Amino acid sequence: MTVQVSEISLPNRQSGQSAQAELRDAIDEQPLLDWMTRWQPFTADVLRDLAARGVPKSQWPQSRHWNWGAKMAEVSGLIAFRGFCVTCNGVTQGLMRVDLTPLAREDTQAGKPLVYVEYLEVAPWNRGDGGRTPHYGGVGSALIAAAVKLSIDEGFRGRIGLHSLPQADGFYRDTCGMMDLGPDDGYQRLRYFEMTETQAQAFLREEAPE
Amino acid sequence: MNLTRSKEWWIDKAVREQERTIAAGAGDLPGAHASTAISESAPGENRIAFGRFVSLMRRNRRLTVEELAEKAELDASELLIIEDDVHALPEPRTVFHLAQFFEVPQSRLMQLAGLTMASDSRLTQEAVRFAARSESIDALTREQRAALEAFVAVLSEASSNE
Repeated sequence: MTVQVSEISLPNRQSGQSAQAELRDAIDEQPLLDWMTRWQPFTADVLRDLAARGVPKSQWPQSRHWNWGAKMAEVSGLIAFRGFCVTCNGVTQGLMRVDLTPLAREDTQAGKPLVYVEYLEVAPWNRGDGGRTPHYGGVGSALIAAAVKLSIDEGFRGRIGLHSLPQADGFYRDTCGMMDLGPDDGYQRLRYFEMTETQAQAFLREEAPE
Repeated sequence: MNLTRSKEWWIDKAVREQERTIAAGAGDLPGAHASTAISESAPGENRIAFGRFVSLMRRNRRLTVEELAEKAELDASELLIIEDDVHALPEPRTVFHLAQFFEVPQSRLMQLAGLTMASDSRLTQEAVRFAARSESIDALTREQRAALEAFVAVLSEASSNE
């Protein structure tokens, strides 16, 4: 399968400059190597720092246990599952796995197919854990944009759904404008969010002409 | 999938993030996936005892987390989480390697870690006692060492349920 690459721009929050980046519709060997050799050591440093400073565990990265190698291996060869990544300067900045089989729950679109974002994580240096300044911004938004675009390409009209980690609720509700359907008793009481066709159009809307 | 937007469009999306944390999916949080062998009802005391056990066994051998990770072929960040976070569920592979390295039965360490259903109530009782006696301080005291050795003995006993 040919990997499709979309050129995107990310702001470097430390330098104030923007950087050219790639949004790729696959998670192949290199992103998993980056996760193993770059993300994990960085996460270990962050955890040591948080522990040393006595930061409550509720503020530690909630995806710290994730194993992307296992996540991708378990769906290898299954066409209902797709992987996406964002790379910048040759390094993976974010990862996402989606499932095309779940159905929508929100009243106006209940029972219709959607793209379900099973896992989405940005690289640990792009997070503000413990007051750090994230490196690149926009990685999470780029991955959500990819999920919405895939939904459109699949004929799902932009509908997407996901369970948010508690630290990310505000992003999906306020930044992405998704419907908050509340805590899901069947999924660790994580809040379930859904994007409708109308919300998807708004999210992907191109700039209005001057 | 190809998505074409201007540089300004992507930067605007980034600005709207406002440095918020972004992540989705419970994945490996405790009890998230029915497809794993994780026991949702694993007693919390066992999990506390598991973290304490790993920490004290490591310190008893005068190893840093990094040294234990290297010797047991494990990831240091996962070891750190195991020792510090009672909600953490370790990977079965990790417990397997720890059992090998510390020379204790794998099946009982799996139970202690909450990866298999508790089948031995005595192990749970002893785990509670161990957790209560071994509260972490910097140096391994004589009492902690005694608690550790007693618990290793219990852990290594043949169980009537096995």
